[in-house]
Amino acid sequence: MAYVIAQPCVDIKDKACLDECPVDCIYEGPRKMYIQPDECVDCGACEPVCPVEAVFYEDDLPEAFSEYRVADREVFDGLGLPGGSRDHAPLAADHAVVDAVPVPSRT
Amino acid sequence: MSESLLNLVPKAEAVQTMKDFKSDQEVRWCPGCGDYAVLAAVQGFMPELGLAKENIVFVSGIGCSSRFPYYMNTYGMHSIHGRAPAIATGLATSRRDLSVWVVTGDGDALSIGGNHLIHALRRNVNLKILLFNNRIYGLTKGQYSPTSEVGKITKSTPMGSLDAPFNPVSLAIGAEATFVARTVDSDRKHLTEVLRRAAEHDGTALVEIYQNCNIFNDGAFEALKDKDQAKEAVIRLEHGQPIRFGAKNDKGVVRDPATGDLQVVTVTPDNEDRILVHDAHTPSPTTAFALSRLADPDTLHHTPIGVFRSVERPVYDTLMADQLDHAVEQHGKSDLTALLTGNDTWSVAG
Repeated sequence: MAYVIAQPCVDIKDKACLDECPVDCIYEGPRKMYIQPDECVDCGACEPVCPVEAVFYEDDLPEAFSEYRVADREVFDGLGLPGGSRDHAPLAADHAVVDAVPVPSRT
Repeated sequence: MSESLLNLVPKAEAVQTMKDFKSDQEVRWCPGCGDYAVLAAVQGFMPELGLAKENIVFVSGIGCSSRFPYYMNTYGMHSIHGRAPAIATGLATSRRDLSVWVVTGDGDALSIGGNHLIHALRRNVNLKILLFNNRIYGLTKGQYSPTSEVGKITKSTPMGSLDAPFNPVSLAIGAEATFVARTVDSDRKHLTEVLRRAAEHDGTALVEIYQNCNIFNDGAFEALKDKDQAKEAVIRLEHGQPIRFGAKNDKGVVRDPATGDLQVVTVTPDNEDRILVHDAHTPSPTTAFALSRLADPDTLHHTPIGVFRSVERPVYDTLMADQLDHAVEQHGKSDLTALLTGNDTWSVAG
């Protein structure tokens, strides 16, 4: 089990969660923040501080965001357990689920 | 010493995963509590031991950390304030086929339970004691604890605490503990390695875990967690290795030849060969104790983490089992009912 960051975070990245996470398991991608599910300890500190309500406990993830459960896991494929985001560079690429979200127009 | 006491505990029939050790109970600590990190580390480590879950027991006292047994899918007991080591002593000595763990906090273990803790340590009962130290009473909403720093302002010390704090590692070494270690909640790798070493130890293992209470004492260990500060503040002890630290690995621990005490110095070619090499297995507790005194209790600078002491000494459980066997050999098996209904009684004059 772990917490998952869903679509409302895309292109927002407020990062309030980053300051709250006691184990530094939240990593920054180009367009979204990601929770490393095997490093997450389920403490829930990130959920209430998110200003756009993007963070959900895995079991409570709304159906519409279900693919973000996979996104937060698969984006770490090949990275294993990075061991904490404090010492880690931002992720080079987003997951395909995030890539598929249209970029908001800047008009 | 003969073979590990862990071999007395039955092995699991199938390969276990972390999930096997999660109970169906909803975890109820404050969001962001360091206890979650410790729970995850313990649940993640348990499969490595490969012991039958039915033969593992977590005994706790009272406090936030003492909710731990609910969340472990093993046997457990949320027991009496400060008395977890006493209950666990009974279990460990009477059931040597159990792996017995104690979960306690700085208030539970060092205040109301201080006596039980030190006597379990000196007896060297086969217990693994996890002492969550957050330097505050969290469950009762923020009063100072036996590890709170002098001058700390809390609800029960509005003008600052007057009490000199306990250093749990020093206390344990002074109480004849055979295994004493310190680790930090958020450093899962280090925490897991310390758990591994504690589990392998025959006898009482005391593991102090610095644990953040993000509600009533937030940031108490930030000096040890912040990436930049930690390099100067944390001394990582590794058996057989010179005790060196610092951003440039330029600090070291040497013995002052005049006083015999330990001190931190900047490493130079002249003093490099005087840098202390950590020996956790040395029978004398003197150097381990001196290492435990290096940290500044206020700033936490020069805080050693890792295994301070790990030595072999006869285990209480084994000695007691041997003594019982010996008694049976000499006198034959006794009859408890006969004893209780016998005529060795007193009449108290009214």
